[in-house]
Amino acid sequence: MQLGFLVDLRLCMGCKGCEIACKVENEVPLSTWRLRVKYVDVGTFPETKRTFTPLRCNHCANAPCERICPVSALHYLENGIVNIDKERCIGCAGCVLACPYGAIYIDPQTQTADKCTYCAHRVASSMMPSCVVACPVEANIFGDLDDPMSNISKYIQSHQGNVQVRKPEKGTFPHHYYVGGGNVTLNPLASFRGEGHNLFNNLKHLPIGGH
Amino acid sequence: MVHETIAATNAVVTLDVALPGIVWGWIITMNMWAKSIGTGIIFLGFYLLKKHPEQTGFIRFPVVAISIVFIHIFLFFTVIDLHQMFRFWHIFFYPHLTSAITIGAWMATGFVGLLLAMAYSIYMKKDEAMYDKLLGWTVLLAIPVTLYTAGLMAQSTARELWQMPTESAQMILAALLAGSATMILLGGNKFSDAVKKDLAIVLGLSAAAAFILYMAEIIFGPMKAEEVAAVLHYIKGGEYTVMFWIGQVMAFLVPMALVCLSLKNQSYYLLKIAAVSALIGLWVSKHVWLVIPQLLPMS
Repeated sequence: MQLGFLVDLRLCMGCKGCEIACKVENEVPLSTWRLRVKYVDVGTFPETKRTFTPLRCNHCANAPCERICPVSALHYLENGIVNIDKERCIGCAGCVLACPYGAIYIDPQTQTADKCTYCAHRVASSMMPSCVVACPVEANIFGDLDDPMSNISKYIQSHQGNVQVRKPEKGTFPHHYYVGGGNVTLNPLASFRGEGHNLFNNLKHLPIGGH
Repeated sequence: MVHETIAATNAVVTLDVALPGIVWGWIITMNMWAKSIGTGIIFLGFYLLKKHPEQTGFIRFPVVAISIVFIHIFLFFTVIDLHQMFRFWHIFFYPHLTSAITIGAWMATGFVGLLLAMAYSIYMKKDEAMYDKLLGWTVLLAIPVTLYTAGLMAQSTARELWQMPTESAQMILAALLAGSATMILLGGNKFSDAVKKDLAIVLGLSAAAAFILYMAEIIFGPMKAEEVAAVLHYIKGGEYTVMFWIGQVMAFLVPMALVCLSLKNQSYYLLKIAAVSALIGLWVSKHVWLVIPQLLPMS
């Protein structure tokens, strides 16, 4: 079994339901994200459009994070998921530096690395990842890539020529696919990134003691 | 950051998470800088003891003492950079041998063991033959200890700027630069002119070679990868330009010039200034090269 993910960007409407479901399911702390939807506006008024790109761990077949982890906190499950053992993680942040997709962060509460696990705990109970359940337009398709009759395999077969992965040149062989993607949605260098468009501000600490 | 596709699409990120910022900062710079001195002094000590055994016998204990101090500074900064530093022992009990961090930790531990044995042999037993025998093994282990950080940077797939062949050369050159500079400061006026000349040549040549590599990366790197081009914008008119050039001038250009002048004028004083400049500049150069790839958005 090789579990994989596919997002049909033509269907995604940027509702962020998947983000919220992920946050709730995995108790992801404020200011950190296992999954988020990036908005990129394209064009010049009045010819403009907004693109939505859900971004999460790609669960690569050749995962740099797994390779660089000094204590095997990041490890493969038998179903292909790149899982993380937060009790073993030493917080060296090697994985954060290694991941070409910016999918790993240091959890401010546990001070360990964290990332999307395709909801491995739900998958173990034969349940879909929470983001799949939450998506109102079924833009998220999850299943076994080794099974030619699975929904994801059929989707990939029926959209040949329009299925992409992020940064294929890195040789990571992601198990996360996009249909209807393009340079603007999948290449972080293809868009201007100014300050002030973040999901949260920088007010994190309450000044205590008259400071 | 501006990319050529923007003109065509006018694509602007209007909502996303904040960039993670600098994850490996000055603590890791300290780590690399201290390690360069800790292994570099061993390389230079070995060279001088082989080439000038009569004139450099007195360096045996200072060399191992300095190496022990700086390797422990390196280890200290390695550990305090961990977000879970009290789990450091996991590296030894749950080792993952594909990781350069694991390999580096094991080798650094062996290196420290050999350094302590050398200190014991020269300080407690006064046995120079045993010291010299151990020094050979220590030099062999110092090579991978110096290089493993380059391996770690190469394993950081996301950071296109850090390429293994170049980084490994830079690590060795940094060790030779730092080792020769430290040895110059250590020797005072006790070294003969021949030893001083040798140290000056090592300092000058390692500075020249490292500078050439940096310049080659700046000129030719952008032709290889879009990400490298984007990263190098930070030192080509970007926010780290001044710091980068301060590092290059202090670490490489000033030492090269002062080495030439000192050889011409037989001035050991100039050589000491070159050594201090090299050590300060090396820290700055390493820091800039460490930080700039982390400024790039990955997603």
